[in-house]
Amino acid sequence: MSAAPTTPELDLSWLDLYDDPTSAEPTKKGLTLDAIDIGDYASAEDLPRDMTPRLRGAASRENAHRMGLTYQTKHDVWADQCRSLYEEAIQRQWSSARDIPWDTLTELPDEKERAICQVATMLTEVEFIAGDVPGQWLPHISGDEFEVGLFLMTQIMDEARHTDVFRKRALANGGGLLQQGAGLGLRNLIEAQDFTEMSVLMHVQAEGFVQSMFRMGELIGPTQADKRIFRMAAQDESRHLAFGVMHLKHILSETPERREEIHHYLDKAEERSAGGGSGDVTFPPVFESLCILLGGGKDRFDEGVAKFLLLRRRQVKEYLHRLEVAGLGDRSERLGPALAQYAN
Amino acid sequence: MARDGAATEGPITAEMRAAAEALGWDDGLLDRALDYGYSPRTLVSALGTKLAPSQAKSFLDREPLKPDLSWMDAPTEWGVRAEQADPEMGLTVGDILVGSYGEIPELWTDRTEIARGSNPQEGQEDMGYTIFEKAVVWADSVSDLYERAIRDRWAPATDLGWRSLEALPDDIEHAICQVMTEHSERAYAEATVLGRWLPEVSYGYLEMKLFMGSVIYDLARHAEAFRKRALSNGGGLGLQAPTDLIRGASEARTYPELMAYLFVQDSAFLTFFRHAGDIAQNQLERDLYALVASDRERLMEYHVDRFDAFLKAMPDRRLEQQRYLAKAEVRLAREWDDPAVREPLLLLLGGSRDNAAEGEAALHALRRRQVEEYLGHLDSVGFIRSRLHSGLAAYLEDPEEASA
Ligand SMILES: [Fe+2]
Ligand SMILES: [Fe+2]
Repeated sequence: MSAAPTTPELDLSWLDLYDDPTSAEPTKKGLTLDAIDIGDYASAEDLPRDMTPRLRGAASRENAHRMGLTYQTKHDVWADQCRSLYEEAIQRQWSSARDIPWDTLTELPDEKERAICQVATMLTEVEFIAGDVPGQWLPHISGDEFEVGLFLMTQIMDEARHTDVFRKRALANGGGLLQQGAGLGLRNLIEAQDFTEMSVLMHVQAEGFVQSMFRMGELIGPTQADKRIFRMAAQDESRHLAFGVMHLKHILSETPERREEIHHYLDKAEERSAGGGSGDVTFPPVFESLCILLGGGKDRFDEGVAKFLLLRRRQVKEYLHRLEVAGLGDRSERLGPALAQYAN
Repeated sequence: MARDGAATEGPITAEMRAAAEALGWDDGLLDRALDYGYSPRTLVSALGTKLAPSQAKSFLDREPLKPDLSWMDAPTEWGVRAEQADPEMGLTVGDILVGSYGEIPELWTDRTEIARGSNPQEGQEDMGYTIFEKAVVWADSVSDLYERAIRDRWAPATDLGWRSLEALPDDIEHAICQVMTEHSERAYAEATVLGRWLPEVSYGYLEMKLFMGSVIYDLARHAEAFRKRALSNGGGLGLQAPTDLIRGASEARTYPELMAYLFVQDSAFLTFFRHAGDIAQNQLERDLYALVASDRERLMEYHVDRFDAFLKAMPDRRLEQQRYLAKAEVRLAREWDDPAVREPLLLLLGGSRDNAAEGEAALHALRRRQVEEYLGHLDSVGFIRSRLHSGLAAYLEDPEEASA
């Protein structure tokens, strides 16, 4: 028979840790992460980081286990506004089941249904990896920058929804999935060996290209439901992009000596695929389906190609603009050839 | 039908010519394009997209591209029209499990990023997934759990009555802060451990990954909400949580080990939050614990369903699971004895430090419930725990009996 739990003397030393009484005030947006970033609990550069699961501001246990290597400086992972991006993510969650007007789907000409299903097949594939990558990096973020971890956790949720909404679209209107079509370049994202490398390739480059495409969703989507899917997904992508741009800006201002290294990651990604890690839109099934949707049918394919070129130009122009905002404006002078042709 | 110099006539208008000139396009390009078979409409589009001269030349100065379109005949299932089973829920992931798209393979063999049900493209890269067996990750409830998670989402910043908080006696406030510190860290760390397993699971089991994404999202909000409570009412953060339990989770070498291990902790945490109304000092805390418990119900449902399916599919691995459960039980029992875990609960259940004895009885009852419900969860899948760790078994005895 086991012994019953004994009743140790009360230790109560844990009661003596509160010399800085803290009362965060709710704001108009409720009690936000910014509102609790105060006093001893505020984010700071020079905190001792201990690699245990301790979150910033909690008192350390002497015997706490380390849990593996984490970054030891704030700027390695930080993005200004990650707290408000997190709160925005929570407030702007949507449901692919209920917030898309699925009942507006109408029977489309076969070629158009096939084209949107091909685009959806590519996108559900691309979105799938965008959830894996943040997951891979969570263990390397110190609890002193837990807000970054929280933001990435919202991204995992967002990308799950994107994966599911494009799959739903392919299976909702008399179509199906078609040809696998995104592999090129996706490996870049999961191959990253550094947080900044991951963020610049995924958040800024890959999600940037995807975002430029989603923003043309009004032209691509043949039905109201399709247009709405692109709009809602674009709203989420703009947070992921903002995180990446802010992180890049932060790292370039804190550690300007990393500039060439960052260019080098972009060199690798730009040479490997025309779409970076966003899937390759020049891959024939994707290219052709987009041209059919943009042109309005396969008998207007050449018109679609003209608009496709516009999409490519937009992707590259916006990519360069985002890099410029982050402080990497000189990228325009060394863009990979697959992108440079669209850069004028 | 070459066009002559009467350029402003016919399908190419003067505006088009002016636009082409402004863009620096080759003289005569528009006419040649028309000859090649481009429609005037396409020329207007090309002008509208402001193609650079070199692009305009490479695009328009040859026969129009003829699409191959072979992807339209990809040998996949076509003609699928998923129906909403429950209009209240909308078009769910469960609704699109139709035809071949609803077949979850026992073994998934494609190593690329391919979406299950699409037609494989030859020559794609191996993405490095390691989990290709349904029995390891799958539970039939995942699609439903995922949609429920989305439907029942809540926002800590705005769904809790932060302005309703009133000052509490110092000991009590600090005891709450200690509980919040502990559970904020536990939730965050668990999400971190789960996140690192996402890249292991192949697209064959997509729906399970969707659900796991929602679990990580839930845990993020729990970490956030507990921290906010600690910092909003004159307290602060206390001592970090003990690290034995979470360390064991991060030590797991395989997904089934991780899940068996977390089964113990997640069952115990679910029971704790279900009954945490007993330690709540105000409505905000009651609401918070109830919301956390309802999120954790989904996670536990997954654990139970997955474990059940796993044991049925891999009966030879039954004995092995005893080890992972045992490892977690030892650590859970140890953490329950940690002063910073145990004493805040004694204070909150007893009402003050002078009333810790009353708190002791209540805590014993809570721990007993946690152990009983844990065994109940195992029981529901027909799993008999060979030797429950003594540190947990002790709570199944009456306190008087035990101290006699
Ligand atoms: Fe996405
Ligand atoms: Fe994204």
